[in-house]
Amino acid sequence: MDLPLTLNSMMLLTLAISIAPTILPLMSETMKNSPTSITQAVKTSFFMSLIPMTLFLYSGMECISSHWEWKLNTNFKIPLSLKLDQYSLTFFPIALLITWSILQFATWYMTSEPHITKFFSHLLIFLIAMLTLTVANNMFLLFMGWEGVGIMSFLLIGWWHGRAEANTAALQAILYNRIGDIGLILCMAWLASTTNTWELQLPDQTSLIPLLGLILAATGKSAQFGLHPWLPAAMEGPTPVSALLHSSTMVVAGIFLLIRTHPMFHNNQTALTLCLCLGALSTMFAATCALTQNDIKKIIAFSTSSQLGLMMVTIGLNLPQLAFLHISTHAFFKAMLFLCSGSIIHSLNGEQDIRKMGGLQKTLPTTTSCLTIGSLALMGTPFLAGFYSKDTIIESLNTSYLNTWALLLTLLATSFTATYSLRMILLVQTNFTRTPPASPINENNPLITSPLTRLAAGSITVGLLITSFTPPTKTPPMTMPALTKTTAIIISILGIIMALELSKMTQSFIKPKQTPLLNFSSTLGYFNPLMHRLTPTYLLHNGQKVASHLIDLYWYKKIGPEGLAALQAETSKITTTLHSGMIKTYLTSFALSTLIMIMSTH
Amino acid sequence: MDITHLSSFTAFILSSLGLAFHRTHLVSALLCLEGIILAMYLALATQPIQNQSASLALTPIFMLTFSACEASTGLAILVASTRTHGSDHLHNLNALQC
Repeated sequence: MDLPLTLNSMMLLTLAISIAPTILPLMSETMKNSPTSITQAVKTSFFMSLIPMTLFLYSGMECISSHWEWKLNTNFKIPLSLKLDQYSLTFFPIALLITWSILQFATWYMTSEPHITKFFSHLLIFLIAMLTLTVANNMFLLFMGWEGVGIMSFLLIGWWHGRAEANTAALQAILYNRIGDIGLILCMAWLASTTNTWELQLPDQTSLIPLLGLILAATGKSAQFGLHPWLPAAMEGPTPVSALLHSSTMVVAGIFLLIRTHPMFHNNQTALTLCLCLGALSTMFAATCALTQNDIKKIIAFSTSSQLGLMMVTIGLNLPQLAFLHISTHAFFKAMLFLCSGSIIHSLNGEQDIRKMGGLQKTLPTTTSCLTIGSLALMGTPFLAGFYSKDTIIESLNTSYLNTWALLLTLLATSFTATYSLRMILLVQTNFTRTPPASPINENNPLITSPLTRLAAGSITVGLLITSFTPPTKTPPMTMPALTKTTAIIISILGIIMALELSKMTQSFIKPKQTPLLNFSSTLGYFNPLMHRLTPTYLLHNGQKVASHLIDLYWYKKIGPEGLAALQAETSKITTTLHSGMIKTYLTSFALSTLIMIMSTH
Repeated sequence: MDITHLSSFTAFILSSLGLAFHRTHLVSALLCLEGIILAMYLALATQPIQNQSASLALTPIFMLTFSACEASTGLAILVASTRTHGSDHLHNLNALQC
C-alpha cells in the first residue's frame, strides 16, 4: 500500500467532506442543507480523519503536499501546500469530534431558532477556516484561515444581533483581533522580504522583529493580557458558539501559530522570556477575575483565558509539543463544560447566574456529573486528561531555569483554578435549590446526553491516549524532589480546601463587603473601563483640542482672513495719524526741499 | 544751453512753482499741472529732432495719453469737491484728517 498516497488522499477526502455542505446547495436546488445533514457531514469527516491519524501513529509518516501554485510573475512563489505533520494530523480528529458533538448539541439547543440552518452553516465555515489554518504549510493559507476564523467569530458572537451587548461584544472581538493581525502581517512582511518565501520551514536565527509580531498576533487571537477583554465579552454569543470557538478551536489559533513557527523561537531567549512572562500574567489575571464572577459562562470563559496563558507559558519554556498536548486535552473538557452550562441554562429557562442555581445534582444527573468530570480534568486531577498536560507543564516549570515571578504566578493561578472550579460546582450542584419552582428541567434528550458522554469519555482518556502514542521530542524531566513532583497536586488541594472553607462562610444571602481586592477582581482589574472609556476619551479630547480648536479655528484664521484684516486695520490706524490734510503746507515743503537739494548739489 | 532747452526748462520750473505755491483754488494747481505736462511734451517732441534719433519719436504720444487720464482724474476730484463743499477751496480737502 502506497502510504503517502493514502495519507494525502484520506486527508483531502476529510476536507472535501467537511466542505461539501457549503458547496452542494449552490450546485442544485434539491440539495438543501439542514442541521442534521451538516452534523452527519462532520461526523463522517471525523471518522475519515481517523485514518490519516492512525497511519501517522503507526508509521510516523508526515508529509507536505503541494497542490497548486498562485503564479505571480515575480520571484515569490505562493503554493497551496498542506503540511500533514504531527500537529495537524492529531488536531483534525480532535477538532472534528468536538465539532460533531457541539453540532449535535446545537440541534437541541437552537431548536427554536428560525435561522438554524444559517447558524449551522456559519459553524461549518468556521470549522473549515480553522482546519485550513491547522493544515497550512505557508503563511498565506494560514492567514486566510486566521482571518476566516476572525470573521466567523464576529458573525457568530453577534448572532442575536438585536441585542446591543452582542453587537458591542462582536465589535470588541474584531477590534482586538485586528490589533493582533498587525503583528501577523508584520511577521509575514519580514519573512517575505528576508527569506523570500512564506513556507513554514523557517530559519533558525532571526532578529526579534518577526517574533514580536508573532507574539502580538498570539496576544490578540488567544486573549493574553493586554488584548484580553474580548473573550469574556464573547460569551454574548450562543453557547454552542462559545463551546466551539472560544474554548477549543479559535482561541488556540494564536498558540498554534507559535507552535508552528517554533523553529524561529527556540534560539531567541528574549522572545521566550516574553512569552513566559506574558503567559504567566495572563493566567494569573484571568484566574483572579474568575474568582468573583457570577455568570456561569463567564467563569468558564475566564478559565479558558487562564489556560491559554498556561499554554503561552509552555511555549515560553520551549516545549511546543507539550503546549499542543494541552491544547488537545483542554479542548475536550472545556467544550464539555460549555455544553453542560448550555444544558443547565436551557433547563433553568435562561438563568445564567450561579447564585440562582443549586441542588441540580439530583435533577440533572448526567449534566452535573459531566460538569464535575470536566472541572476535575481542568484542575489536573491525576490520570484524567488534564493531568497529563498540566502536571507536566508544572513539573517542567519547576525544573527549568526561568523567571521566579512567572513560576509563582502560574502556581498561584493553578490553585485559583481549583478554587473557582470548586466554587462553581458547589454553587451549581449542591445544597438547596435557589431556582424558581417551575423550571423546565429536562435532560432526557439523547441529543444532550450523547455529546456530553462522548466528551466526558474523551476528557478521561485522551490524555493517556495521546501521550502513549506520541513520543516526546524533548526529554521530559524525570527526576526531581518529591515536593517538586507533587507541587501541582498540592496547590490544587490547597485551593480546594480554601474553597471549601470559604463556602462554609457563605450560607446566607448578605451583600458581600466591598474591599479593594473584591473590587479589583469583579471589575476585571479595572482594565475594561480604563481602556474602553478613559483612554479613548482622553485621546479624542486631545485630538479635538489640537486639530479642531487650535489649528482649524485659531491658526488658519489668523494666517488667513482675520490676520490680514487685523494687519490692515493696524496699519491704517497708524497712517491716519500721519495725515493732517494740510495740502498747501505739503506742496510748499515739497518745493522748498527740491530747492534745497538743487542748491546743495551746486 | 540752447533756446529750446531753456524755454522748456523755464516753463517747467515756473509751472511747478505755481503748483507748489497756489493759494486758494484747486483749479490753479490743475492748470499748473497741465503746464508741466505741456513743457515736458514739448521737450520730448523736440529732443528726437535735435539729436537725430528716431527711436524715441513715439514717447510724446504716450505722455499725451497718460496726461489725458490724469487731467480727467484731476477734474473729477475738482467736480466732486465742488459738488460736496460748494467750492474748490483747498482747505476743503481734509477728509483724511483725524
